[in-house]
Amino acid sequence: MIRRILLSLALLVAAALTLWGASTKFYNDEPIQREPETLDASGAKSWDIDLSWDLIYNLFAHPGDPTANVRAQNINTIDEVPDSSWFTNRILARPVSIEEAVNGPIVGDGPAPPPWTITRPKAAGAAPGFTMRDSKGVDWFVSFDAKDQPEAATSSIIVANKIFWTLGYWQVENYLISIRPNDLKIAESATMKLLNGKRRPMRKSDLDDVLRRSENTGGAYRAVASKGLPGTVLGGFKYVGTRPDDPNDIVPHEHRRELRALKVFGAWTNLVDMKAGNTLDTILQEGGKGIVRHYLQDVGSTFGTGALLPREYDEGWEYLFDGPPLKKRLVTFGFDLSPWQTVDYKEYPSIGRFESEAFNPTEWKPRVPTAAFTHSQPDDNFWAARRVMAFSDDMIRAIVKTGRFSDAAAEKHLADTLIARRDKIGKSYLPAVNPLVNFALDGSGTLTFMNAATAAGVSDPSPGGYSANWAIFDNISGLAVPFGVPSAAERERIQAPSGLPQSDGTFIRVRVGAVRPATAAWASPVTVYFRRVSGSWKLVGLER
Amino acid sequence: MRGPIKILATAGCILLAFTLVLPVAAQETRSELIAQSQTKKAATLHPEVPSKAEHIFLRVKKVFIESPSGFYPLFGSVYSGGGPTFGAGYRQFYGERTFWDARGLWSIKNYKYGQLSTDSLGHAQNRIDLNGHVGWRDATQVGYYGLGMDTEVTDRANFRFKQTFAGASLKLRPIPWIKLGAGLEYEDYNLEEGLGTQPSIETVYTPSTAPGLGVSPTYLHSTGSAGIDWRPAAGYARRGGLYELRYHNYSDRDGAYSFDRIEAEVVQHFPILRENWVISTRGLLNTTLGDTSVVPYFLMPSLGSGTTLRSYSSWRYRDRHSLLVQGEFRWIPNRTGIDMALFYDTGKVASSRSGLDLNGFKHDMGVEVRFHGPGYTPLRVGIGRGSDGWQLVFGGSAAF
Repeated sequence: MIRRILLSLALLVAAALTLWGASTKFYNDEPIQREPETLDASGAKSWDIDLSWDLIYNLFAHPGDPTANVRAQNINTIDEVPDSSWFTNRILARPVSIEEAVNGPIVGDGPAPPPWTITRPKAAGAAPGFTMRDSKGVDWFVSFDAKDQPEAATSSIIVANKIFWTLGYWQVENYLISIRPNDLKIAESATMKLLNGKRRPMRKSDLDDVLRRSENTGGAYRAVASKGLPGTVLGGFKYVGTRPDDPNDIVPHEHRRELRALKVFGAWTNLVDMKAGNTLDTILQEGGKGIVRHYLQDVGSTFGTGALLPREYDEGWEYLFDGPPLKKRLVTFGFDLSPWQTVDYKEYPSIGRFESEAFNPTEWKPRVPTAAFTHSQPDDNFWAARRVMAFSDDMIRAIVKTGRFSDAAAEKHLADTLIARRDKIGKSYLPAVNPLVNFALDGSGTLTFMNAATAAGVSDPSPGGYSANWAIFDNISGLAVPFGVPSAAERERIQAPSGLPQSDGTFIRVRVGAVRPATAAWASPVTVYFRRVSGSWKLVGLER
Repeated sequence: MRGPIKILATAGCILLAFTLVLPVAAQETRSELIAQSQTKKAATLHPEVPSKAEHIFLRVKKVFIESPSGFYPLFGSVYSGGGPTFGAGYRQFYGERTFWDARGLWSIKNYKYGQLSTDSLGHAQNRIDLNGHVGWRDATQVGYYGLGMDTEVTDRANFRFKQTFAGASLKLRPIPWIKLGAGLEYEDYNLEEGLGTQPSIETVYTPSTAPGLGVSPTYLHSTGSAGIDWRPAAGYARRGGLYELRYHNYSDRDGAYSFDRIEAEVVQHFPILRENWVISTRGLLNTTLGDTSVVPYFLMPSLGSGTTLRSYSSWRYRDRHSLLVQGEFRWIPNRTGIDMALFYDTGKVASSRSGLDLNGFKHDMGVEVRFHGPGYTPLRVGIGRGSDGWQLVFGGSAAF
């Protein structure tokens, strides 16, 4: 009798513990398409991230989660990034036309015709510029090409702006404009900060100084006018941790996939300057509450030129302070050469040093280690590489054209280089994981999918085809009971064993791997989950 | 019922009852789960708080770097040979680009320096800088080894000099790579017995072996200079060059020790392979004009210091004329912070210009590591060897 009671109790405890700890693997609303931002963030305060500290801290302190190999934490159950105040799914997630990509974030017409009133000198950044107000009262941040660097900074800003918008990031509205000194007047309220720390009214000589440092053609100065962002400006964001004053910001930034993915997008475009000063948070009112929106506000540090000069040769190759190559050069009297020291650049004044021959996406580096980059995982890189590969040649050429290069050879060089770097990114990152995507299970039990690497032409098909292991999945307990015998097919279409359950709410788990894979990573199967909903199979889970 | 079935049934009933009161799942949707996390965070919201290290960094930056007026730390040199030197300054703006600057330095050999100056910078679209200053210096144990190249380390005697000075200068850059300068300074020297472990100069040398020994002259020192300089910055450069002539007139108020001197300096940096290596060269000629003038021993051209013959003590060789040639093989382990250099220096002093022939040069060589910023070199550390033996090399500025 005692034995019976004890056994009963043991069973009870086991069952209770199972239930107590149970959390369903898939909730009813999965996969979520939008990251919920449920609370009012109006109380978030503006901050100034000190750029010197930001640089030193990231360069030497290696901030962020000390745990290695952490999967991105803001992805949904099908391995995608939901829309959010950080990111909007555009290219790859839906058809994006060339016209849409070329238009980018533009929703207006640019500055109203002159006269334009200078309201402030430029407060940050090396490029000459100022803030002006047009005749309709709209504020614009104006940035010129540096002297002897015609079209360099302005075209970089315009072209990169379209690329990063198409990729899905919140971008500023940028317009390429031409300014003549007579178009400008100085507001009485505009003041200059002096060496002594005090301010005095801005003078014409101050404007002359800005223009003297700027490139002009026939007295006309080419510039980018960036529209002031809506909402209350809070300052930049960090690529690590969360904003302590934003209740909706719960995923550490180093674990946000769209920020990790900037490692790949940055490599593609040579976006080396990842400082917080090139980002901007603003508070916008949405649905009656304040939401913090996160902009990649300045992506102009791209391609081969900086604000004032062509990129240094080592930019994109090494951190500003990079221990291993430093030590190598130190002890070898510099004779252990790094790749950047012998790269053959074809330099154009408007493009600078941007090339594709020696480019290696996996070795590309920004100026400073970025926590989100150092935490990126192969599936993050795969996710990003698919988006890069979704840019067609024609789309790239059309976007580059918006830079309005006067030198057709320079324009071609930039487009050709972006295309070649895109292809290298595809080759590097698509085959590095099991690249099966676009899973669907139809009513007849046919599982279809796509091999993203072979579809992109960067990898041969799996010589042995694919195999699938089927199981009925219990969403509560997480247990999977094998179903039927494993099925196989040469191509990306596999028939399920007969007798798939048909009742709504049922879950099926399928593990699809490559047979005799050409790439070792492909042997590791992709696990997908389907839920029976209204008589159809809905993809609710994907684990790579 | 049989035993096991009975057990299962019993357990099942209890379990059913239990589950009726258990919150099996608090959320039905992922959105609710995320919302719960956000609500949890909302209870602990706070503004960004800098870490202690960041707070200290920001404080130091604000006080010492960003504040146009106020105190700042100072590392420099009172006078060559004074050893590690520390100090502080206080700057106070009184115009848009004009400020007072008071600074004091002290070295571990008890060298002392104080100066009050005013600078007005960036006039005529950053072409003209003006300076006026008054100050005092006390160098307690400056070395003197005798005249010419045939002296030994053991010949060293020390002297102390105190200098009071006041003057004004102008720097002009009509175009960015042309450099002009002019200055006028009142300099009052007071020579005294040297301190330190070496004997004082008057116990070893005479006016014939140390010209001007025993006098404490007062000069009106005027200077003029012209040159071309296309280095990115004088404080740190890997490319560009400097070609400059400097003229000095020391007019003794008593007339006995007046003299003129010309300095000619050539610096050229040859970058190799995207500045992976740099061959840096320098030539410096100091020559006293006229054969009849008497140059006091403490104002004679000299060789030996962290910027001339680096493996020799400061002021190791003195005479009326000097010639210095330096070469460096530099390799750049890191673009933004560290330079390495193998250096070779050779030089000679002579009593006559014709004496600056190819014979009798002193040589040294060594290696240095430099910690630098974009346009400045706050620290050089190295070791070198010359005919006097090994010498540690320290510098708070670029070698050249």
